[in-house]
Amino acid sequence: MLAVSFLQWWYSRGWGIYFRGFRERMRNLADFFSIGLLLRTLFQPFRQISADETGETGGIQGALIAFFDRLLSRFIGCVVRIGIIVAGIIAMTVQLVGGCLLALLWPCVPLVPFIGIAICMMGVTF
Amino acid sequence: MSQHYSPLCRRAVEARVDKIVNSKLVKALLILACLALLGFGLALVIAYKNALGWVLVGCAAIPFEILIWGKYELKEIPEGKGENVNDLLSNECLQHLGHKPTPQDVAKWFYKTRSGGFLAMRYAITPRMMEAVTSRMSSDIEPIFAKAIEVREKTNSEFISGGVLTIAIIECCPEYEQILKSMKLEISDLYDGIVWFNYLYDLVKGLNLKRRTGGFARDLMFGYTPLLQRYAINISRQHESTRGGNVSVSLHREHLEQMIDIFSKGGRQNVAIIGPEGSGRGTLVDEFASEILNADNKISSRIKFRQIFKLDASALISGAGERGELEALMTRILNEAFLAKNVILWLDNAQLFFEEATGSVDISNVLLPVLEGGRLRIIMTMDQQRYLEIAARKAALANALNKIMVEQANEEETFKVMQDRVPILEYQNNATYTFWSLREAYRLSERYVHDLVMPGRALNLLEAAGHYAVNGFVTDASVQEAVEKTFGVKMQASQDNVEREKLLNMESLIHKRLIGQDMAVTAVSDALRRSAAGVRNEGRPIGTFLFLGPTGVGKTELAKAISEVYFGGESQIVRIDLNEYVSPDDVSRLIADAATDELSLTAQVMKHPFSVVLLDEIEKAHPLVLTTLLQLLDEGILRDVKNREVSFRDTIVVATSNAGANKIRDYIDQGLDMSQIKEQLTNDLISGGEFKPEFLNRFDEICVFQPLDKDALFTIVDLIIAGVNKTLEPRKISVTLEPEAKALLVERGYDPKLGARPMRRIVSKTVENIVARSVLAGATDSGDTIAINEDMIKAAL
Repeated sequence: MLAVSFLQWWYSRGWGIYFRGFRERMRNLADFFSIGLLLRTLFQPFRQISADETGETGGIQGALIAFFDRLLSRFIGCVVRIGIIVAGIIAMTVQLVGGCLLALLWPCVPLVPFIGIAICMMGVTF
Repeated sequence: MSQHYSPLCRRAVEARVDKIVNSKLVKALLILACLALLGFGLALVIAYKNALGWVLVGCAAIPFEILIWGKYELKEIPEGKGENVNDLLSNECLQHLGHKPTPQDVAKWFYKTRSGGFLAMRYAITPRMMEAVTSRMSSDIEPIFAKAIEVREKTNSEFISGGVLTIAIIECCPEYEQILKSMKLEISDLYDGIVWFNYLYDLVKGLNLKRRTGGFARDLMFGYTPLLQRYAINISRQHESTRGGNVSVSLHREHLEQMIDIFSKGGRQNVAIIGPEGSGRGTLVDEFASEILNADNKISSRIKFRQIFKLDASALISGAGERGELEALMTRILNEAFLAKNVILWLDNAQLFFEEATGSVDISNVLLPVLEGGRLRIIMTMDQQRYLEIAARKAALANALNKIMVEQANEEETFKVMQDRVPILEYQNNATYTFWSLREAYRLSERYVHDLVMPGRALNLLEAAGHYAVNGFVTDASVQEAVEKTFGVKMQASQDNVEREKLLNMESLIHKRLIGQDMAVTAVSDALRRSAAGVRNEGRPIGTFLFLGPTGVGKTELAKAISEVYFGGESQIVRIDLNEYVSPDDVSRLIADAATDELSLTAQVMKHPFSVVLLDEIEKAHPLVLTTLLQLLDEGILRDVKNREVSFRDTIVVATSNAGANKIRDYIDQGLDMSQIKEQLTNDLISGGEFKPEFLNRFDEICVFQPLDKDALFTIVDLIIAGVNKTLEPRKISVTLEPEAKALLVERGYDPKLGARPMRRIVSKTVENIVARSVLAGATDSGDTIAINEDMIKAAL
């Protein structure tokens, strides 16, 4: 009865638990790299740094300075964000591939003893 | 439905396997086996070219699978699909239940389960008590299981846990109400206990979850805040490090949603949280900070991950030299907060920023445009009175605020908040809080903590009680001790015999310094005994007495005697001479703020809540003063000029009066007994307009003091001489009076109008002078006794 219970669990709830854990790990990683946030604010000024926020220093020249100032800040922000997003995507991809491999291997785990016996019977050695 | 427990059902078997698999030893062995099989297998295959190694490698998967199964399934076996006891029993219960369980078996192990242990610790439900109410018949277990299913439903529990079974066993006992009554419990308290446990269990489970707060790059789009780092505290930073879900929002959910709504939409981006001290204004802001920091919450991106900075008024004032500098600094801070784009400013005790006083400064000129502009998010917290004061002075400011009124919590909410806070307090004090400690904290805080409202006042006391834990438990006695130590109040008659004896012999103890006046002494003693035994009305003072009688008969002396015998010394007497309160304006002096007038009645009772309040010569007070005292006599509460409640509920209020004194002797001469005299005198006082009937009715008892006769004066002389001997005790000199000398003193000291007062003067003039002369002349040395005779008295007179 126990063996049946175990196998039932392994191929139903157990697999589900694995997927839920995998999904959580992916979400945690995405949160760690702030990927969603960075994508939404890709072109925001970097740390809101700009020499003159409103261009109140005077006239068209002031407005132009402010405009280019903010443009530079946005550019720096964009570069930094893209860098982090790329790093995050790499980390997530590694985790995704690893997770998918393990998910595929999951149903095979109970069969491993039998696979071992089969290989033994085939006489495979290094 | 039959509730037959089957020990061979799948869940029961799995639970027993769990007990084995998840034991530390077996887990270690399984890991070891897995590694050993893998290692030996690979070694065989690689080093010895032996294919048998593959079998070992394959077999290494078996202990691995068992470990995974044990960790993710057996540890928390889910409930079954049916509504049968076999489907609903918790893992822990299934592990302990044998093949033929009896109620007594359950009683033996219930406390080993998490929820059973919780009830055992907090409600003092011991295995011995449980065994006493359970049978050894296995057939009796089925009704218990049936009841347990009901309890589970009522408490909204996931499983039939050890705690649920405990309640079921108790409820199945026919005389359970009597048993619980003896423990000062009701069955609903135990149900609440299970709900409390479930809540804490979920909270602990939540702590194991990783909290998502936006990641390390979250703040890249927001500005730097060097000024705010210096002049404010980042509340959100504290919540970032907290694991688990949000902090509890049981009390403030509605207000929290209101805050989120205001900040999520357009319009003025400010919230003024207005409520009394202790209502949880600060906690609400904390909860808000935690809520908007949680990446999983579905809230507007306009406020998600915003940081709450609590401005420090004192740091601002000390950081800026002069007034102009302060306004400039504040402007820079507001600009920085606005430009950072992710700052919500919190002005705690916001009145500090709108009024000129010590530790506060009026910068409303700077803040008002910001509030009206509505672009910078600001939270303000303040109490209702301060808000009304500010609103009266600065209507524009009041109109610019989005107000959220926070009221004090009711009993149920307060208990929830206390239960919420208990794990933190237990961690801080390394002690377990019992259920009674919470109940007592609520009850006593209502009575003694007046500057806060619920739940703050109960939490305040609960926290203080942590310092008085006994054997690792904070009980109702710990709370009482905290009250005694904090407020100087005697909570109950001490359990020791000395205290009990003192109360039972109160009259004789008082009579050691007061002669006669049995009626008054008995009335006061009875009141003290009622108070000590806990059978008095706790919504009133311990006792309120009006002592009527001529001067020098012991009215004030009785008040002093009570103070010495019961309240711990004559210093515990608050004396107000009401002949100083003869005009309507004096009312404000009577109830003046303790900070400005330490001698006002309210100020003195605030400092000595456990004392005798002596209101001397009450007949001379202005009627308005007497009206002010009505609430004191009635409810034991007097409000000071700042409208703060001052409790008189642990005082004995004694008012003395000479009114009608002349008539007492006449009535005695007419042969009236004391009860008739009292009735007659009361009528006289009312008809004479000296007191209003509603005032006299407020007293528990009106005690008429008899004029002293010569016999009483003989005893009084003895008391006075005993006092003289006590004074001379350090010099080891004593005084004795010969009978003739005593008679002479009584003869000269007796004045029917002035009572015993002249006697003290006479003794001072004669006995004390004789002793003084003798000592100075060197006629008396240490260890001597001075015998005073009639001639010596005559000479001294």
